[in-house]
Amino acid sequence: MQDFENIQSLWQSHSVELKISAAEMLEQAKKEVNAIRSRSLINIGGMVLSFIAISAALIYFNFDSWTTNLGIEIVVLAVAVYTILLYREHRLISRNDFTVHPGAFLGKLHEYQISRFNLYNKLYWFYVAAIAVGFILFFFETLHDLDTWIQVSILLFTVVWMVFCATILRKAFMKKEKERIDLLIEKFERISSQFQEKE
Amino acid sequence: MDQKDLLFKQIFDSNSKKIFHLCYGYTGDADAANDLLQETFLKVWQNMDKFRQKSLISTWIYRIAVNTCLTYLRSEKRQAKDELTETLIESKTEEYSEKNEQIALLYKSISKLEENDRLIITMVLDELPYNEIAEISGISEGNLRVKIHRIKQKLTELYNQHARL
Repeated sequence: MQDFENIQSLWQSHSVELKISAAEMLEQAKKEVNAIRSRSLINIGGMVLSFIAISAALIYFNFDSWTTNLGIEIVVLAVAVYTILLYREHRLISRNDFTVHPGAFLGKLHEYQISRFNLYNKLYWFYVAAIAVGFILFFFETLHDLDTWIQVSILLFTVVWMVFCATILRKAFMKKEKERIDLLIEKFERISSQFQEKE
Repeated sequence: MDQKDLLFKQIFDSNSKKIFHLCYGYTGDADAANDLLQETFLKVWQNMDKFRQKSLISTWIYRIAVNTCLTYLRSEKRQAKDELTETLIESKTEEYSEKNEQIALLYKSISKLEENDRLIITMVLDELPYNEIAEISGISEGNLRVKIHRIKQKLTELYNQHARL
């Protein structure tokens, strides 16, 4: 039979080990935000690489037909515009340090989420349309001398790939991105609301 | 390191163990307690400028921790406390000793208390002055004394009940 004093001394004898220091704690908290920033940067990096590769094709290859040149130019332009839009979005979350200005950061995170939604909905279809027109023009010359079955295969593969990107891949990406941002927003809102209640 | 970082480090070093103990007592799970500790100190970091010295800084931090614990379990609909304690007990079987068993029993007994009572008794066990506990929990000191007396009795009873099994 134990009394409360025994229970208390048992509690106090149980030493707890902290797995984290002050610096590590802040570092870890920043990691979650940095993960979203890194993904956004990788996205931009991929687009920049595509831009360089397609532009290089335009510079280093001599195409006879104006349709090929115009096709590549349209694709390059579409990639450039989309990259700029991605960069504008990236700036929304890269400018604020959430540990310094949590309120402002939360606002920007909401803005980022809406902007991201628009980019992968309405704006994405403009992008796909431009890319499709670009490819159609590009294929006029480049597929001209090939066998019919190769022409059909390439066209079929291009269409299937674009449909796959625009449907399954885009939806899965949007779902994952939304979950990630929702989690962050929820966490920051919980933190902010506690202080709003108190003041 | 700037002034704010240094101040935070001091605050963290002098309060983190007690806060971790509070969160551990509340959840019965070291990982969950770590999450709560981080969330609590993140709030402390973000609101250090708003602290007006009307109370002790430790009281202020405890209040944040208590709110964090309560919100955490309610909003996340986490695993029931009992399951967590079972996990804790199971995971510690390899480190079996009489003392470990008693500690596991103590956490199990705390888990049977009401949410608010759990937090209050944790502060009592850590020997926080009654006026501080009253300020943190928002209960008048008179009422708190009665409440603490009742929780102490309940915890002792639960502990002894579990010990007999």
